[in-house]
Amino acid sequence: MSTLISLKNIRKIYTVGLEKVHALDGVDLTINHNEYISVMGPSGSGKSTLMNMIGCLDTPTSGQYEFEGELVHKMDDNQLASIRNRKIGFVFQTFNLLPKLTALHNVELPLIYANVIRKERLKKAREALEKVGLQDRMHHRPNELSGGQRQRVAIARALVTNPAIILADEPTGNLDSKSGDEIMQVLDSLFELGNTIILVTHEEYIAKHAHRTINLFDGKISKDTRTK
Amino acid sequence: MIRLLLENFQIAVTAIVGGKIRALLTALGIVIGILSVTLMGTLISGLDQSFEKSMSFLGRDVFFLSRFEWFGGQEWWEVRNRPKFKLDYVDKLKEQGKRIETVAPVMERGLDVSRGEESVVGVRIFGTTPEYQRTTVVNIKHGRFITEGEVRSGSRHAVIGWDIADGLFGNENPIGKDIKLGNHRFTVIGVVEKQGKFLGLFSLDNQVVIPIGTYQRLFARRGWMRMNVKVDADHVNEAEDEVRGIMRRLRGLHPQEKDNFAINRQEAFRKQYNMIKYAIGGTGIFITVLSLLVGGIGIMNIMFVSVKERTREIGVRKAIGATRNMILGQFLLEAVLICVLGGAIGMGLAWGASFFIDKFIPSTMPVWLAIISVSLSVVVGVIAGLIPSYKAANMNPIEALRYE
Ligand SMILES: Nc1ncnc2c1ncn2[C@@H]1O[C@H](COP(=O)(O)OP(=O)(O)O)[C@@H](O)[C@H]1O
Ligand SMILES: [Mg+2]
Repeated sequence: MSTLISLKNIRKIYTVGLEKVHALDGVDLTINHNEYISVMGPSGSGKSTLMNMIGCLDTPTSGQYEFEGELVHKMDDNQLASIRNRKIGFVFQTFNLLPKLTALHNVELPLIYANVIRKERLKKAREALEKVGLQDRMHHRPNELSGGQRQRVAIARALVTNPAIILADEPTGNLDSKSGDEIMQVLDSLFELGNTIILVTHEEYIAKHAHRTINLFDGKISKDTRTK
Repeated sequence: MIRLLLENFQIAVTAIVGGKIRALLTALGIVIGILSVTLMGTLISGLDQSFEKSMSFLGRDVFFLSRFEWFGGQEWWEVRNRPKFKLDYVDKLKEQGKRIETVAPVMERGLDVSRGEESVVGVRIFGTTPEYQRTTVVNIKHGRFITEGEVRSGSRHAVIGWDIADGLFGNENPIGKDIKLGNHRFTVIGVVEKQGKFLGLFSLDNQVVIPIGTYQRLFARRGWMRMNVKVDADHVNEAEDEVRGIMRRLRGLHPQEKDNFAINRQEAFRKQYNMIKYAIGGTGIFITVLSLLVGGIGIMNIMFVSVKERTREIGVRKAIGATRNMILGQFLLEAVLICVLGGAIGMGLAWGASFFIDKFIPSTMPVWLAIISVSLSVVVGVIAGLIPSYKAANMNPIEALRYE
């Protein structure tokens, strides 16, 4: 298995007033292609910060971040936007769909920024929605969909650019357990298809879907276990 | 790049359509601004056209000598005591003025003109000489103008304006037929082609021209006379000095005495007209700038609100790969679109209003005005949208995503 991501001694320090918060405090982490990882830890331990860092939404205060050999910590804003667009698929706890757009157009969105022509975009968006089992809900707006369906639209949006990694920060946190299970089935199947997935969760039974679990505590990796 | 622009266009349209009424209300300032600039432009271009047309009746190289200045300044009592013009000035001016090409004496009064039962009231009767034709525009449609011989003999021949021919004769040919000026019988020898109104004030087609000798004999031997003096078109200003010199000599004025006559020129109208034009233009520009300013501030405000409301959307767009410039472009385009929409409404209203104006002053909306209006709207949109868009573009995606 080849290396996808390599974090070396990553620190993220927030200054709140006079206090310095070490959200990430020297994280070393290597992630290979087609891994399925869950991240666990108490609230405030730095899980979201780590996900944002990996997702190139945030830059480290210090340390080295390589993504497929490219030095992310040295990238400017436009390069970060480009790598987010091409290589990373985000799934958020609160779905973050655009309320005025239909499922199809929400899924199409990343391809607009990737400068793909309309016809191609719609084709890919349809395919992505089919993968998450929403082919018959394409023209619904988010408020016409259930929570589980919304999250599946969000996953389709994350998928549509065929990214190198899918980052899901508590994707089932806002869902009932049945919808949560559906989402996990979708993620499992994506993993089977060869995707790399990182997933933040509080729930042990959700974490078990992954093949490797990373535990965070006070901004440090306290445990890194391969479970399968 | 073009494709992105198109996408942004769609996003902007969706955003505007989503908040139609609010957007329209904020665009009201732009609507009024563009309305006023286009109305003003239409009005001025219409005024210009009719002014120039009217001015063609007062040639640039013709002086209108009379007791009064066209656009006052002098005390009434002073003007009232000025001597009258005499017919023998005509020959003296012609003889002594090197730059004078011709002189036509003109006497004028109002009178009713009739033929049998038909009559036209309030007609201007002009007594003059054949030279009159060279000092203004008189295009003969039928027949001919008066002759030197008719002036000398004082014959009862008349050249009538279009409205009179129309009113008294309809489809009949008036040449050789008799009409009555007041109680005096005249024979029509010519009809002047239709000329329209002078500055929209009075009709040039409601006139009758007769030989000056006849005029003096029948209507007023000692009435007011004025002179149309046509001069060398290449030396108009020198000619004015010359005419003034001759007139002062004829009047026997000492050097320290003021002129007791007036040399009127087209220029006087032009000056007056320009003052009106600048007043209209100034007012229009003032209203335009003010409305665009207010409108622009309104747009800026609504854009700030829009950016704030869509903070999460901005976060999402950034997370899925929108760059700063794409976000900037999206919001800028939205602001520009609102402004252009407002501008288009303003132009539409102005276009409608121009038909109304057209009833009083013939005018059409010039194309360059439309171009200026659109450009103005775009500029206002860019300026008003710049700061809010910049704010949107520079949002931190993580904070934007967390925004409630
Ligand atoms: N923008 C920020 N400014 C200040 N402190 C922050 C900011 N983001 C996160 N933190 C702090 O960093 C720590 C880690 O936060 P986070 O990564 O969100 O934790 P988790 O997702 O594990 O709950 C917390 O103490 C949090 O308060
Ligand atoms: Mg978190």
